[in-house]
Amino acid sequence: MVKFGIEFVPREPYWKIIYYAIQAEKGGFRNLWITDHFNNRNVYVTLTVAAVYTNKITFGPGVTNPYLVNPVFTAQAIVTLNELAPGRVVLGMGAGDKTTLESVGVEMHKPLAAIQEAVDIFRKITGGENVVYKGEVFKTAGAKFLFKPKGGIPVYIGAQGPKMLELAGKIGDGVLINACHPKDVEFAVNCVKKGIRQAGKKFDEVDVAAYTSFSVHEDVKKATKAAVPVVSFIVAGSPGQVLERHGIDVKKAEEIRGALRVNDWGRAFGAVTPEMMEAFSVCGTPDMCIERIALLLKCGISQFVVGSPIGLNVREAIGLVSDKIIPHFRV
Amino acid sequence: MDYRKLVEAIPVVKREPLSNKLMDLILSSKNDERMPTQLANSILHHWQNDILISESGLTALLEAAVLLEPDKTIEVFTQLELAGFAEQIKEAVAKT
Repeated sequence: MVKFGIEFVPREPYWKIIYYAIQAEKGGFRNLWITDHFNNRNVYVTLTVAAVYTNKITFGPGVTNPYLVNPVFTAQAIVTLNELAPGRVVLGMGAGDKTTLESVGVEMHKPLAAIQEAVDIFRKITGGENVVYKGEVFKTAGAKFLFKPKGGIPVYIGAQGPKMLELAGKIGDGVLINACHPKDVEFAVNCVKKGIRQAGKKFDEVDVAAYTSFSVHEDVKKATKAAVPVVSFIVAGSPGQVLERHGIDVKKAEEIRGALRVNDWGRAFGAVTPEMMEAFSVCGTPDMCIERIALLLKCGISQFVVGSPIGLNVREAIGLVSDKIIPHFRV
Repeated sequence: MDYRKLVEAIPVVKREPLSNKLMDLILSSKNDERMPTQLANSILHHWQNDILISESGLTALLEAAVLLEPDKTIEVFTQLELAGFAEQIKEAVAKT
C-alpha cells in the first residue's frame, strides 16, 4: 500500500510548520520531510520541534546536502533526533541545488562520489565506528562519537539524473525522485531498479518516493493558481531534454527564466502553459489528483510526497488529502 | 482583557466553528512576529491533544488572533453572530 509523505519549507515560522505537521500526522500521512536550505529556517531545529509535538510520523531532512554540512555533523544531528523520537527518524541526502551552493561560493564537486562517500561516513559513524576514510571528496582521520549512537537509520537519496538515481537504488534505503509526471517517474524508477539489481537487493526493500509539487483544491482554478509560481521555477531550472520530453517549447522556458531573473513575477507566471502544469505538478481537484497518483503508483513508487505548494490554503489542502485522497488508496 | 472569562461565556455550540475560523486567521496572518513563543507552544500543545476547542485552547487561540489580526478577529465574532463579544474585543483593542 502506498504511503503518503508531506514536505514543508521552513520559510514560515516553526509554529505554522508544526501545526501542519500535527495535522498531517492526524490525517494519515506517514512521512514528514523538511527541506534544508541555508536561506530558510534551520531544518534540525524544525525537526526537533516536530519530534516533540508528533507521536508516530516518520521524519527527516528532505534533503540535506554534504557540501554545506559535513556528513559527521549531519550524523550527529540525526542520531540526536533519533534519541528524541526513536525509530521515527530518517536521513534524506542529495547533492543540493547548484544555484544555492554557488551563492555561498561552494562548488558542487563530484556529486556522485560526494553522496556515496557521505552516506558511507554517515553509516559508519552512526554505527559507532571510528571512521578513517579517504574518499575523493571527504576524508576523516579517526572520527568517532563520544557517546553510543543508535544506528541503523534509513537513508533516502534525493536524485534526478540517471546516474544519481542508479546510485540511489544501489546504496539507499529509499529514493526521493523529484518528478510529477508518469513519463519522468517511470524513467527514474527504471534507473533506480538498475542500481537495486547491482546491489543484489529486492525492489521492495527500497522505498521509492515521488517527491512532487502538489496543489489540491475543490476548484481547479484555485489549485492551479497556487501551483503556477512553483512550476515556473521548475521550468526555469529544467534542462532542455526534460522540456522536450514533455513537448514544452524551450523558447517559452527561456522567457520564464529571463523574467524570473529580473523578478518580473507577472510575466514569468503568465508564461506558464497547461503543458508545463501537466509535466511538473500534481494539481487539481481531489479526483484529478487521485487519477494522477494512481498513474504514478503503476510506475512503481511506494511513497507519494505531497510537496510545495500543497494548496492555496495549506490547512484546507491537507484536510482534502487526508479526507479524500489517502482513504481512496487504503481500499 | 480577560480572554478566559470571555471564552467561558461563549455558547458551546459556537466554539468549534470559532476555533476553526481563528486558526485559519492565525495561520494566514502575515504578522507572524507578533506571536509570542509561549502562546504558539500552548496552541500546538492543545492541537496535538485535540483540545483546541476547550476553554484553555480557545483562550490561547483568541489571545493569538487578537495579537496578530485584531480587526479580523472582530469580524469573525460578528460573522458567527457573537456581536456582544465582538464589541467587547473592539473596546479592549481600542484601549491598547
